[in-house]
Amino acid sequence: MRRNLLTGFTALVVLFTVAPLLVVVFSSFDDGKFFRFPPRELSLRWFRAAFDSAEYRSSLLNSTVVGLLATAISVTFGTAAALGLQRSVLKSRAVLEAVLLAPLTLPLVIWAIALLQIYAWLGIGGTLSGLVLAHATFTLPFSVRVMLATCSAIDPGLELAARSLGARPWQAFARITLPLAFPGLATSALLSFFISFNDVIVSTFIAGSSWMTFPVRLYSQLRGQGIDPTTLAIGTMVIASILLVVMLTEIFSRRALRT
Amino acid sequence: MNTRGPVNLSTRLLVVPGVALVAFVFLAPFLLLVAMSFWSQPAGSLLIDPTPTLKNYERIFSDAYYLRGLSRTLWLSTATVALSLILGFPVAFWIVRRAGRLRRLVTALMLLPMVCGALLPTLGLVNLLAPLGIINGTLKELGLIDKAIPLLGTQTGILIGLVQAFLPLMVLPLIAVLDRLPHSLEEAAMSLGARPVQVWWRIVLPLAAPGVLAGSVLVFCAALTSFVTPQILGQGKIATFAAMTWQQASLVLDWPFAAALAMVMLGLMVGLGALMLALSRVGRSE
Repeated sequence: MRRNLLTGFTALVVLFTVAPLLVVVFSSFDDGKFFRFPPRELSLRWFRAAFDSAEYRSSLLNSTVVGLLATAISVTFGTAAALGLQRSVLKSRAVLEAVLLAPLTLPLVIWAIALLQIYAWLGIGGTLSGLVLAHATFTLPFSVRVMLATCSAIDPGLELAARSLGARPWQAFARITLPLAFPGLATSALLSFFISFNDVIVSTFIAGSSWMTFPVRLYSQLRGQGIDPTTLAIGTMVIASILLVVMLTEIFSRRALRT
Repeated sequence: MNTRGPVNLSTRLLVVPGVALVAFVFLAPFLLLVAMSFWSQPAGSLLIDPTPTLKNYERIFSDAYYLRGLSRTLWLSTATVALSLILGFPVAFWIVRRAGRLRRLVTALMLLPMVCGALLPTLGLVNLLAPLGIINGTLKELGLIDKAIPLLGTQTGILIGLVQAFLPLMVLPLIAVLDRLPHSLEEAAMSLGARPVQVWWRIVLPLAAPGVLAGSVLVFCAALTSFVTPQILGQGKIATFAAMTWQQASLVLDWPFAAALAMVMLGLMVGLGALMLALSRVGRSE
């Protein structure tokens, strides 16, 4: 009896946690102009509207461009930093690591206020480069962490062995270390991209209307006018791609563990 | 071994781009923010006067508007912690003790809102809580209410959103701490004649205290500084401290004052963290 009570309670809490996402997914397939749940007539109308709307297309494009550029910087800098930390005996390693992970410690709201001010002084508020730099900075700690874990799992003896068999340093790196680091690189790239793609706070503060990303557009719409079902359709697609990516990384990491 | 020197130098340089990025885009703005909070901006002007002053802080702690905002935010954060604990503890316990093969799935479901970011769950919550939304619609159809219960644009609505968003931050440390708790302890207490309530109150809860403490701090800080959820679910009608800070920074353009508001938020977090650390030290030495 008491057991069932606990199980029932847990089920309710889990439902409470996932319900908002379920609502988004289910209602995006409803034909009506207003939100209805459960959906009465299924249609793909809002998905079509999402692809047709120039407004949403441009904001999704903005998000993608910012996300890809920020990811490129975050993964490159993060990997280099992880290698640098890993391979040399640095007395200052702890300090450098703390600096690299520092962006995780401050709540985004506080940092965004600071960025807003310094960007306005530098004149890069509302520009693509300002936005990309900010996104690269708050995704960098994730890349550094993932790559540190990846690098520490790679036996440095392998690269030395390749060197002793006559490979040049870059050859040893490109043909031994890089393939071994691939799962880590993929994970940190996906993580960086999604964190950047989902960001509302930093982008709202520093980008304003000139480089409006999809979350910023959605946010301003939700605050003001209520719900356009088109956003539900886009939300559903975002949720689906997140689930897909989570499952893919899960499968990859399991496979990596097995071999 | 002669190659060690040059190799070390070049690998050491690999850290430079990342550290430079953090230094220029994260540390420099933060230091400016700290300094800015002690500067001032004369009324009606956008020029900043860099003479050190405590004016901004005095204003926050003497103006009723900001004090109300502060107490409202503290109340919301405390309530979020309490509700997350009430909802999260049984769930964590179930996941550790009874989930069995479902464990991975249920844990993943509990983490889903965190993975999806703040916005998508909020989009669903607006649907649920709106006057014509699911909750009010269902209650009306069942004939339980005549007029919609106001949820959107109220503190209740914000609270629901905050709990939904930050519950994972409570559940994760609880799972970690309950995982280390041997089942035999409860069995021993039971076999010595303790009733289930006593087992919970005197064995499970005290031993889970570090997890409760960690989860509470995480949830409190997240709720204290959350911006998107309160803004959307409050429909901009309920000003939390983070919203007031944003208002000053990007609408009023009084940067020194906005900086001081941000520093007060940070000070609260640091103070709370220090208090919790002290508490956990006391707990361990006893």
